[in-house]
Amino acid sequence: MISIRHLAKQFAAPSTKRKGLAGVSLKRPPARFVQAVKDVSFDAPDGHITGLLGPNGAGKTTTLRMLAGLITPDAGSMAVDAIDVASRPREALARMGVLSDSRGLYPRLSARENIVYFGRLQGMSADAANARAENLAQMLEMTALLDRRTDGFSQGERMKTALARALVHDPANIILDEPTNGLDVLATRALRESLRWLRTPAGGSKCIVFSTHIMQEVERLCDSVVVVAHGRTVATGTVPSLLAQTGESDFEEAFVKLAFAEEIQAHEAAPELMR
Amino acid sequence: MKSTSAVLTVFRKEIIDALRDRRTLLTVLVSSVLLGPLVLVAISALVASLESRAEARQVVVAGIEHAPSLKNWFERQTYTVKAAPADYEKQLRNAKLTDPVVVVPADFEAALQRGESPTVELVSDSANQRSQAGAGPIARLLGGFSRERATLNLALRGISLELLEPMQVEDRDLASTQTRATQITGMLPYFVMMAVLYGALNAALDTTAGERERGSLEPLLMNPSERWVLVVGKWGAVASVGMLIAVLSCLSFLPGQWVLRSDTLAAMFQYGPREAALFLVVLLPFAAAVSALLMAVAIRCKSFKEAQASSTVVMLAASLLPLVNVFSLGGDSPWHLWVPALAQNVLMTRVLKGEAFDTAQVLVPLGVCVLLASVCVWFVARTLRSAAVR
Repeated sequence: MISIRHLAKQFAAPSTKRKGLAGVSLKRPPARFVQAVKDVSFDAPDGHITGLLGPNGAGKTTTLRMLAGLITPDAGSMAVDAIDVASRPREALARMGVLSDSRGLYPRLSARENIVYFGRLQGMSADAANARAENLAQMLEMTALLDRRTDGFSQGERMKTALARALVHDPANIILDEPTNGLDVLATRALRESLRWLRTPAGGSKCIVFSTHIMQEVERLCDSVVVVAHGRTVATGTVPSLLAQTGESDFEEAFVKLAFAEEIQAHEAAPELMR
Repeated sequence: MKSTSAVLTVFRKEIIDALRDRRTLLTVLVSSVLLGPLVLVAISALVASLESRAEARQVVVAGIEHAPSLKNWFERQTYTVKAAPADYEKQLRNAKLTDPVVVVPADFEAALQRGESPTVELVSDSANQRSQAGAGPIARLLGGFSRERATLNLALRGISLELLEPMQVEDRDLASTQTRATQITGMLPYFVMMAVLYGALNAALDTTAGERERGSLEPLLMNPSERWVLVVGKWGAVASVGMLIAVLSCLSFLPGQWVLRSDTLAAMFQYGPREAALFLVVLLPFAAAVSALLMAVAIRCKSFKEAQASSTVVMLAASLLPLVNVFSLGGDSPWHLWVPALAQNVLMTRVLKGEAFDTAQVLVPLGVCVLLASVCVWFVARTLRSAAVR
């Protein structure tokens, strides 16, 4: 169970360089700020797959990084199973399995060693982490890979290893940042199957948050969708309810209406500027 | 307790990771282990060739046929006279000829008889170091001939010999054999320190900038371990690699001694288990501190390559600082002990000289190393989170 309320974060942007000698001035140009996340709120219940859908640069990754405690938010609150992330980040992290945007593995360690290392850091015993690595390998169909060094793994093999690593401590909350990036159809399907199983009571009724910019993923997999654009939550609901809200029959059209409302309005107000 | 086991987990993983980087590790190990013997062999070959020439007692002369009396003097001094090759100037310039050449003019004997003080040239090339080194003894030898002639002439006229030498000069060298040896072996501490630096470099960069480049730092920080736990584990592993190199390169001088070709050098270069132990007392804290420093420099870099460029500053500082000791003619100043790299060089040079140093002199650099390491570890821990997401 994850709930996020009115999250906001701005970054100091690298200043734009002036051309020629003017750019070599000793005076620092005034810092510019980019508001990456303005107001994001959503709830992700247990036994439920919540899709975080938004165009590139909408603030999805920043939101998930704040949830994982990597970035301190400027405003807003986040709670994981009623644990406040800001005040008790370690307890919150112990209840989360995060597959982040960067999912680098240690190339000189085997897949098993990569997975067990994270299990140990989560406080598991060596035996427990090992047993869990084998379980996960079965679920993700990667048993044959387990004792190979990850150097030379394919994109899909890396992804499976990174996912197993994130799930090694059997977290109640699973957060995946664009997990299907770079995966082929079969690997995507396999991942989808795994996530569906994790949602069921047999799989542990996990709370799964899944960020993506691919409509089909959301339509096929998610129980509910949170549309994020320009750093704000612009719509929340199931796929049919969002279709109904926008009066569209195609989900892509609905998404464009929801996510790019500002641009469409600007376009209608001053069409000649957009040409 | 939980933190300790997490530190151990990180430590074990980083050690395994470093040890599996076979090619890099092997390069560093081989170069650091072979370093000692190689440097010693080079030095001993040089000393041996100098010694063999001193033993050979030969003098190269152009035109000895013009000076039978000089030839007689050389032979009485048990020197063998060798005729100089015709192109001796060229041979001296390109260092083919390693002995200085005495050039005797054609009218030498006649001029000598007339008391006209003929000129004898002693030709060497100051760019040809070995001929330059041989010039001193030959000049003294020629001086001896002049003195003998003068003494004989004056004695014939009934003048006391003391008038010729109103003052006696006697050499007294205060340096002990070991102190003299450090003129030659002075670069050994420097080599050992470089080995430690290069040994720790790769591991330090791999655990920080390498981790950023691979994109494995962000997932690592999503574990509920505290940041200082991760950093201390990593630092422990890097420092261990540096210390391993320190131990190996210090020990490599022990068998290195067996290959010394020069007896004189072997007698002068006293390096036993005691010296090796003292070297390690000085080097181990240095290895730990420099590991932390390299990590602190590298954590700010996004890629391994960028980190290599940044760490050049550290490597350069560490290689230039010991030179203060080499160039300072005024001897050691107390502040030398407060500067990392310089302090280690000063202390190790003292070990080689066989000079004693008290505990306080070891404690100052140790304290500096501990402080440097703690500041750097703190800095890495502080920077880790922002480094992960950028």
